[in-house]
Amino acid sequence: MGNAIRLSGLIILLATLLSPAGLRAQEARPHSMLVLDQSDRRGPFYYQVFVGLRDAVSAHSHAPTTIYTESLDLNRFGGEAYQESFRRFLETKYRDRPIGVVVAVGAAALEVALRWRPQLWPDTPIVFALVEEADFERLRPPAFVTGGIVTLKFENAVSVARAVVPDLKTVVIVGAEWERQVIFRNWKDQVAAGIPGVDIIEMVGRPMPDIIGQVAALPDRSAIIYTGLYSDGKGNYYPPSDALAFVAAKANRPIVVSAETFLRPGGIGGFVIVPSLIGAEAAKRALRLLDGEAPENLPPSAIDAVRPIFNWQQMQRWSVSEASLPQGSEIRFRDPSFLEKYRWRAIALATALLVQTLLIAFLLHERHMRRKAEVEARNQQSQLAHINRQATAGELSSSIAHELNQPLGSILTNAESAELILGSPTPDLQEVREIISDIKRDDLRASEVIRRMRSLLKRAPFEKKDIDLNQSMREAFDFLKPQASARNVAIYLQTSPQTLRVKGDPVQLQQVILNLVVNSMDAMARMPYGRTIIGRTEVNGAESAVISISDSGPGIPQDRLNEIFDPFFTTKEQGMGIGLSIARTIVLAHSGQLWAENQSGGGAVFHLSLPLAA
Amino acid sequence: MHAYVHIVDDDASFRTALERRLKLAGYRVATYASARQLLDRLPGDEEAGCIVLDVRIPGMSGPELQIRLNELESTLPIVFLTGHADTATTVQAIKAGAEDFLTKPIASEQLIEAINRAVARHELTRSQRTRLDSLRALLARLTPRERQVFDLIVCGRINKQIAYELGTTERTIKAHRHQVMEKMQVQSLAELVSIAERLNAGAPGGQVKG
Repeated sequence: MGNAIRLSGLIILLATLLSPAGLRAQEARPHSMLVLDQSDRRGPFYYQVFVGLRDAVSAHSHAPTTIYTESLDLNRFGGEAYQESFRRFLETKYRDRPIGVVVAVGAAALEVALRWRPQLWPDTPIVFALVEEADFERLRPPAFVTGGIVTLKFENAVSVARAVVPDLKTVVIVGAEWERQVIFRNWKDQVAAGIPGVDIIEMVGRPMPDIIGQVAALPDRSAIIYTGLYSDGKGNYYPPSDALAFVAAKANRPIVVSAETFLRPGGIGGFVIVPSLIGAEAAKRALRLLDGEAPENLPPSAIDAVRPIFNWQQMQRWSVSEASLPQGSEIRFRDPSFLEKYRWRAIALATALLVQTLLIAFLLHERHMRRKAEVEARNQQSQLAHINRQATAGELSSSIAHELNQPLGSILTNAESAELILGSPTPDLQEVREIISDIKRDDLRASEVIRRMRSLLKRAPFEKKDIDLNQSMREAFDFLKPQASARNVAIYLQTSPQTLRVKGDPVQLQQVILNLVVNSMDAMARMPYGRTIIGRTEVNGAESAVISISDSGPGIPQDRLNEIFDPFFTTKEQGMGIGLSIARTIVLAHSGQLWAENQSGGGAVFHLSLPLAA
Repeated sequence: MHAYVHIVDDDASFRTALERRLKLAGYRVATYASARQLLDRLPGDEEAGCIVLDVRIPGMSGPELQIRLNELESTLPIVFLTGHADTATTVQAIKAGAEDFLTKPIASEQLIEAINRAVARHELTRSQRTRLDSLRALLARLTPRERQVFDLIVCGRINKQIAYELGTTERTIKAHRHQVMEKMQVQSLAELVSIAERLNAGAPGGQVKG
């Protein structure tokens, strides 16, 4: 027992120490509050007021507070008898429940609470919320009453209408009779006073079908200002936000609203009163009173619960740009953009795209580098082929010189003979004629040798042309004939009856043929007799042409058949070993094939197949 | 009497041109397209002449033909005439006794000079060979006994030694010796020795015991 007294003493001491200095004498009130809604709490607006209040109370965790709520539903019900019965109902209901503070939401609720206070809660302070400046002035509440005064200005609504509708001419007020309105009733006077430059049509207190019919046919350059409808005039009641939805469905002009809860049903927005802020503000005052503060020290004051908020979807519908809205406007219900809707998918897609782009860039770079390398390789191959041709020409130089000097020798000798004949007293002109025709023939012969030589030694870049393989073979064999005869080799050429059209570099392909034939001649160099080379061209199917060069030499050792095309493979004492390797490189560059085999009757044969040109 | 020029060249055009030119210069000309053709109709020594030979001809080459002709003891001088002269071939041909080695195209005066030189040499060779042939004929007229005496005389034996070696009298040898001098148409011992030298006959030590 003594312990309990000591404990409670300690608590009182602590409470005294913690309380604000001026209120130490005051006794703490019961932590319970009764919220009186002037309307139906289930309507979205009042519900939001209550939510703001409840959240603020929940946040006040150091002293748990009980909240009781009563909806007076004064929009729909009224009269002395109703109010009296409600008072008695409350009296009975809360007989054993001490109330620490009464929160009256709405001016009508405040009026009722003030009337009932002497009987129901004689010492209890009252906190009001959602009371408009004009109502506050009218009621002039006594000192035990505190609360936040809200200011809603009709001209603000008109300024928003101007922002939303360029060159605004007309505003149409849609709402219940002013007397029935709980929040906007004070606009009646402001509307009556008028706004310069704007016609005002009051569509107030009309039955719903009338309103719907009229809002569907409003003139251009007009806007609707919606204050709230509570019934259809036929006895059906509904929350004003639901009524707004009906109006918005038919209206042909944007609807400016002044309550946050009117945004979603179809209001374009405006300076709207935010109910949760009002609830929170009321809760803050109520909790301070519950914590022991005196209402005299907490006088009523204007609160800022109005925000410029707009409905993005309605803005789209009425083509209102963000820039035309009042500064600091908040925009709600924005359609989530693609990125917002599919955030992860978008990121994944973007990443994939990026990776792909990088990959493509990398591959393009690779391709570029490969192209460059290919061109370089081709150039080098061209150069090497040229060197090989020069080497071939060097090998053939003695026979070329021989072949060239032969006609030149004839020409000189013939010319001297002609000189002699012409110098004689009786020149034999017939003989001179013969001589001159011989000279002409030999001259052509010499120039032909030079032409062939030039075509072999031409340092031309690799280029593909339409060529006749038979023609190339013939030229190459003509070129080789002197060399062959000097080396005691019989060479024969059998060309296919049809022309063999291929795409290729004529110089390089002739070089291949030359390399193969010279190679065969070299292979037969040690044979005492019977040196023979046969060149053949034929068509293989419809797709390729085949050249074969066969010789009567010793053949190629079976294990070397593949090696012979390797670079620097040679069996000749002075060979470089590049002839066949270059030949194969050239053939591969022509998408062809080059291979060797031994003939059953002895000797080697080289086959060269090239795709026929389409 | 004109010299005979044998042209071996596979180039018909050149053969014709050269034949034409040499005929204008007064030569008699025979042409051959290959070595084989020349060997088939091998010209003898009866007439002065030479061979104008191409190095590169199908079948047997120029230098090969040269070797073959040497084997056949042909005395016809060879003038090589080629479109392309490489050092190795030139050296080989000259070593094997080629008269000249020329390259086409060549001014005909130069060629004719070379041909003239070759022909002159052939004539010289031929006349030398004719003299030897007549000496050989004189020698052949000697009787075996006289030939024995001839061999011993050119070795420097005196009559007494010869008589002793042949087992006869000095007087008999004296008579043989007179016969030999008469038949060989010489006046002195020195002349006789010179003939023996040229004919490479009367080899000392062959029949004479040393």
